[in-house]
Amino acid sequence: MRPEPLPRVRLEEVTHRFGDVTALDGVSLDVREGEFVTLLGPSGCGKTTLLRIVAGFERPTEGRVILGGEDVTRTPAHRRPVNMVFQRPTLFPHLDVFENVAFGLRIAGVSTEEVRARVGDALRLIRLEGYEGRRNYELSGGQMQRVALARAMVNRPKVLLLDEPLSALDLKIRLEMEAELRRVHRETGATFVYVTHDQREALALSDRIVVFNEGRVEQVGEPDRVYRNPASPFVARFVGDSNVIAVEVTPGDTVRIAGRAMPAASDGIAEGAAWLVLRPDVVRLSAPGSGTGLRGVVRDVSFRGTGHTYRVEVGGLPDPIKAEMHEGGTFELEDEVELGWDPAASPLLPRTPDEP
Amino acid sequence: MERTQRSPFTATVTALSLLFLFVPIAVVVLFSFHSTGGLSFPFRGFSLRWYEEVFSSPEFREASVNSLIVATATAVVTLLLGTLAAYGLSHSRSRLRAPLALLFFLPLTLPGLFIGLSLLVLFTEVQIDASLATVTIAHLVYVFPYFLLVSLAALNRLDVALEEAGADLGANSWLVFRKVTLPQVWPVLVGASSLAFALSFDEFIITFFVIGADSTLPMFIWSTLRRTVNPSINAISSLLLLVTLLLFVISFVLTFRRGRKRRGVIGGEELMEQALAGDAIGGRT
Repeated sequence: MRPEPLPRVRLEEVTHRFGDVTALDGVSLDVREGEFVTLLGPSGCGKTTLLRIVAGFERPTEGRVILGGEDVTRTPAHRRPVNMVFQRPTLFPHLDVFENVAFGLRIAGVSTEEVRARVGDALRLIRLEGYEGRRNYELSGGQMQRVALARAMVNRPKVLLLDEPLSALDLKIRLEMEAELRRVHRETGATFVYVTHDQREALALSDRIVVFNEGRVEQVGEPDRVYRNPASPFVARFVGDSNVIAVEVTPGDTVRIAGRAMPAASDGIAEGAAWLVLRPDVVRLSAPGSGTGLRGVVRDVSFRGTGHTYRVEVGGLPDPIKAEMHEGGTFELEDEVELGWDPAASPLLPRTPDEP
Repeated sequence: MERTQRSPFTATVTALSLLFLFVPIAVVVLFSFHSTGGLSFPFRGFSLRWYEEVFSSPEFREASVNSLIVATATAVVTLLLGTLAAYGLSHSRSRLRAPLALLFFLPLTLPGLFIGLSLLVLFTEVQIDASLATVTIAHLVYVFPYFLLVSLAALNRLDVALEEAGADLGANSWLVFRKVTLPQVWPVLVGASSLAFALSFDEFIITFFVIGADSTLPMFIWSTLRRTVNPSINAISSLLLLVTLLLFVISFVLTFRRGRKRRGVIGGEELMEQALAGDAIGGRT
């Protein structure tokens, strides 16, 4: 077997404190060459701080940052082989599009002809040829972020850092930009580290997702694995839209939920307290009397184009269960329904008995 | 915003206030063109004789040149030192930043008499002879906080992320300053510097304490007033007014020009509001 190639980015036990606040708590992470890795988490979870530590805008309180085998923990931002796309468009307002994109090359002392060629290539990459002479105020928000992307990519960074670059855009533009980012990633083969609080964006874009919570890594994995097999109730709730229900596992692959015995995944926990993770698209509703025995009342229905979303109140459970149905019969408000789900697609997570 | 009712009372008060402010100035300017030596009405006709008299006076020419030298030196040194101070204050993460900024602005509250007297004492103590150099130093003390107030407000308004983007693209601190920060704030800095020039050009009280044997324009007016009273005084005052006004206009245009933001240069009335609201001390947002 060939030895594992060096990771493009390696973070070793990175801890960062702002005064008394611990923003990052012993984070270790490897990003492989050419990978699209997303740091996902709610605001204030430390993901942006981590990105800024990789960029060199913050120096970690503890730990090391290694880029391509070289320890850059103490290297200032302007000498790191990484470039960043910021949350808000940060084009230099006194320069036109061409000079914005050329900024890094000019600083690096690249020859005039090469600057022209590479800026041209970069603008082609983001499909903004012909926009060279435009200024900030002549561009839309999406165009500005594409120029910012070109301005970073033109320097052929070892790692491209993206700090919620789409969060200021309208939904429609955001979806277009996601496709654009995936294409640029494919075409350039560059390593992308992307920060977002939008789990949908993370699932759509990434090769791997790193879920953050309160300065710690909760789970690292491919999008479908994180979605299907969340490592913690937090991940289950944050990635996708899960029902996380406190249950008791009983021998024979069943769980007790609201006084009823329901089938459970056999690879889960053999016995005792557990969390049952029910994805809304796994939950099936049917007319009462069809067999499962777990009954509830529809308390809310909303139409979502591809189907309906229901909130079903089940006696003995603190929160209604969310269900998404794409086919089958529709139900009305206050209808009594029976709930069922595929146990194999509904993982169990350990729970200490006193957790609610 | 809702338009308020026009009341005859408000209009009258406004008109009277404006009259009160500008009539004396208008009268001074008017009588600088008087054909006779009279300084009160009736006005007997126009002539440029007082301007001729003023311009032919060697003392006037010397005083003008001195004023120009002092004001230019003050403006240039203020521009350099003030920019450094403003940059430092706007980029510092130190806890001492706010108290330090307050200290810088303190001279705003000191009476000119006090500044003049204390500088005179200082210069005498350290045995520096009064000259145009001491006047320039005194003017620096006087105009520095004004420059800082305006330039700091502009620098505080700059988007930190733009400077980070510059650093991210490989520019060291100096290059970030030269290629990102300066292109956005230079009009404000030059505007604030011409404000410094204007303040220095017609400064009298502090100058009076520290000037020694030389003369500046305000000093010249004052000494002329003691000898004679004729429209040549008006002519000099009008010239002084013209220069000061011109500089204030330049400063205003550069600092507060409308729509500069579109061109990516910090400016606008909000800047003035922020400066007045003490944003310069408050720091970057």
